[in-house]
Amino acid sequence: MTVEARFDELIHAPTRLSIVSLLTATEWAEFKFLRDQVGLTDSALSKQLTTLEEAGYVEIRKSFIGKRPRTSVRLSAHGQQAFAGHVAALQEIVARSGLAVMPSAQT
Amino acid sequence: MPEGEVMETPHIPAIDAELALAEVRARRAEVVDANLVPRWFWPSVGVLMLMFVAAVESGRPWAVATGSVFYAIGLATLIVAVVRHTRVQVRNELIGLRGGLAIAAFAVVLAGIGVGLGLTLEALAVPAPATIACAPVAAGLAFGGPALMAYLRRVMMSRPLAGSR
Repeated sequence: MTVEARFDELIHAPTRLSIVSLLTATEWAEFKFLRDQVGLTDSALSKQLTTLEEAGYVEIRKSFIGKRPRTSVRLSAHGQQAFAGHVAALQEIVARSGLAVMPSAQT
Repeated sequence: MPEGEVMETPHIPAIDAELALAEVRARRAEVVDANLVPRWFWPSVGVLMLMFVAAVESGRPWAVATGSVFYAIGLATLIVAVVRHTRVQVRNELIGLRGGLAIAAFAVVLAGIGVGLGLTLEALAVPAPATIACAPVAAGLAFGGPALMAYLRRVMMSRPLAGSR
């Protein structure tokens, strides 16, 4: 599948890049997992997720396991597309510069 | 902020772009590592299985009953522990056909060894054939399980970062 390179400022912000990078590797991720991995407070993560949700990049699902509320997050199809375009844009920038400071991966 | 502020011509240094890509890879590694079955699971299942088969093959009712209960409780405990350990579900596309085939091959080979060896030993009238045949299967789980996980990790980390799901 060919992806059009499109740099996305919303995704590129460091915290959101971390969140979206985690989500792109998962089917669903628990709120707590994201919070712990990215090292944010609940409110800070909620704010970032709301931003991503408003852009249509993530879907947030709230459910109960027994009496415990559980919030799960997934990257939407739109979010996957935007992320793919962003990664392609980053790769283009790197390729144009001829820079390769990190181990290359199949991208 | 509305839907991503998309730029056709980004103005960021190449080093920043490379660091961003490194971040994407690192975060994938975190998800993959959080999703792999822990090393202790495999020898634990192997030991449980061996004890269960030995108990059943003993033919003593109390041993069969005790072994069955112990096996059921032990296996359930292990599965609950793994589920609690696994806090995220890796995207299926990362495992893909290669990963799926590796898992299937692992299961088929171990089952084949167990059944094949068990039947052969039984035909040779060797005492406790099922228990003896289970030993290499348990060893296969203990050593092969972590090897399978390492292989799956390599498979998942080798997938494109994005764009070809």
